Amino acid sequence: MHAFDRLFEQSSRALASRTSRRSLIAVLGQALTGVALLPLLPIDRGSQARAADAGPKPAGPENCEYWKYCAIDGSLCACCGGTSTSCPPGTGSSPITWVGTCRNPGDGRDYIVSYNDCCGKTSCGTCDCNRNEREKPLYRPSRNNDLNWCMANANANYHCTVSVIVGVAEI
Amino acid sequence: MQSSARWMAALRCALVLLPGCAAAAPIPPPLPPERLTQEVLPARGPHWVYVVDYAFDNEIDARVHLYDADTHRRLGQIDAGFVPGFALSPDRTMSVVATTYFARGGHGARTDVVEFTDTATLTTSREIVLPPKRLHAIPTLFNVAYSGDGRFLYVSYVTPAASFGVLDPAQGTVLAEIDTAGCMLVIPSGPNRVSSLCESGRLLTVTLDSQGHEAARSMSAPFFDADRDPVFVQGISTARGFAFLSFLGQVHEVDLTGAEPAFATPWSLIGPGEGEWRPGGAQVGAIHRALGRLFVPMHRGGEGTHKDGGSELWVYDLAAHRRVARWRLEAAGLKPVVAVEVSQDAAPVVFAATEAADLAIIDAGSGRIRHVEKRLGQTPWQLLTP
Repeated sequence: MHAFDRLFEQSSRALASRTSRRSLIAVLGQALTGVALLPLLPIDRGSQARAADAGPKPAGPENCEYWKYCAIDGSLCACCGGTSTSCPPGTGSSPITWVGTCRNPGDGRDYIVSYNDCCGKTSCGTCDCNRNEREKPLYRPSRNNDLNWCMANANANYHCTVSVIVGVAEI
Repeated sequence: MQSSARWMAALRCALVLLPGCAAAAPIPPPLPPERLTQEVLPARGPHWVYVVDYAFDNEIDARVHLYDADTHRRLGQIDAGFVPGFALSPDRTMSVVATTYFARGGHGARTDVVEFTDTATLTTSREIVLPPKRLHAIPTLFNVAYSGDGRFLYVSYVTPAASFGVLDPAQGTVLAEIDTAGCMLVIPSGPNRVSSLCESGRLLTVTLDSQGHEAARSMSAPFFDADRDPVFVQGISTARGFAFLSFLGQVHEVDLTGAEPAFATPWSLIGPGEGEWRPGGAQVGAIHRALGRLFVPMHRGGEGTHKDGGSELWVYDLAAHRRVARWRLEAAGLKPVVAVEVSQDAAPVVFAATEAADLAIIDAGSGRIRHVEKRLGQTPWQLLTP
């Protein structure tokens, strides 16, 4: 867990120091590191359960208003045979990605979210969702959702996008 | 069946004396046989526009529509493949699509390529195959671009390492690849300079030799703050270079006529008490260069709304840095405007593509909506005038 903590500390410090110059390699490295840890990541199901107990039902993963989608631009894989964290059958996930920072209304925390594209089939073409909180232009690629992040896959065609919690953002 | 139908019609007329029965009775002569012909483009009109449709819901099938705003007709189409870049040669005789194809449609071996289409015939005649590195992203003027004299063609590469290709369109060859780490896109100036926007807020400028290889490079001082107020990558062509709008409405004019870029003092689109208004969309401004008018789709919004379309078009005197009109397009029935362009003639029209893929034709002087072409494609995110 030390390595895990260190990683999140590095991510948080990087976020907190956005005024400093960061190289392309460094920011992509951050994103790649987040992806490498995906199998280890916690999924906050409790917050959804708590939110369901009080007031209107929050938007779910097939809805663009779902909190994790705050910086997504693409088709929601949850509508395409996958889920918010899994690619549809027969597609491949992109090893490189961009990240966003989204607030979970269920627990009030900010989370770093990795938006991986699912690749290898043509556009899913449904549940198009374009949200851009803290999204940056192309020249800051680790924060940009306009790139086809399937670009480096053996099959670079874009199908849909997932959103995977990387960790809590310490802002 | 025909004789039975005629008998029934005659019976109805006899029974009820319906008005018009007498006129309907004669049977017209059959239509003559038709001859299949091939349409050719007329001479270029002053209000033609290329509409780049990214076809987001079936991205391997993007296309560029050629539309005449005077006759309200679609004149033809250029196929554009997968997340294309589109550019016109300096003499406007050739268009180029930089695109990607997969061997089996949605999958299979990837081929990156630039394809040349004659603008007088819309015939795609030549291609240059690229290394599989082409930038896959939203449309800008800088995904693919010609040098000022047409000698070179530049293509943005992102793998995600950033570089660009230098092509010889006359010989059909790739001349060089030039590394631009930390900086993206190909912003052309003069016969042999290429600038790129950097995440540090600077402009990298590479000067090429006669063979298209790097001869020199320089890095400017920062001219915008990528953290606090980044500029849109959709630059707008000016008489001396390009203007870049920022998320918060600053106008950064860059003069690229000299060996080094020169940056004018930024000015704001936003007036006192208008802080909630912002530019936004996929093509965030257009300039009529001779008249010095800037047209910007504006919306009310906050953080994260930089891709929202404009409910209004705001019009500026570019030299005076002064707004001269607000056109309330949403109130006139248009969906938010996501892309805007203006013809460069003496009686110009503004083209405004909406979220609903409608294309509005607007008088550039008065703001009067002349015509709305419904559903011109699927996601028309870029407009170019020939």
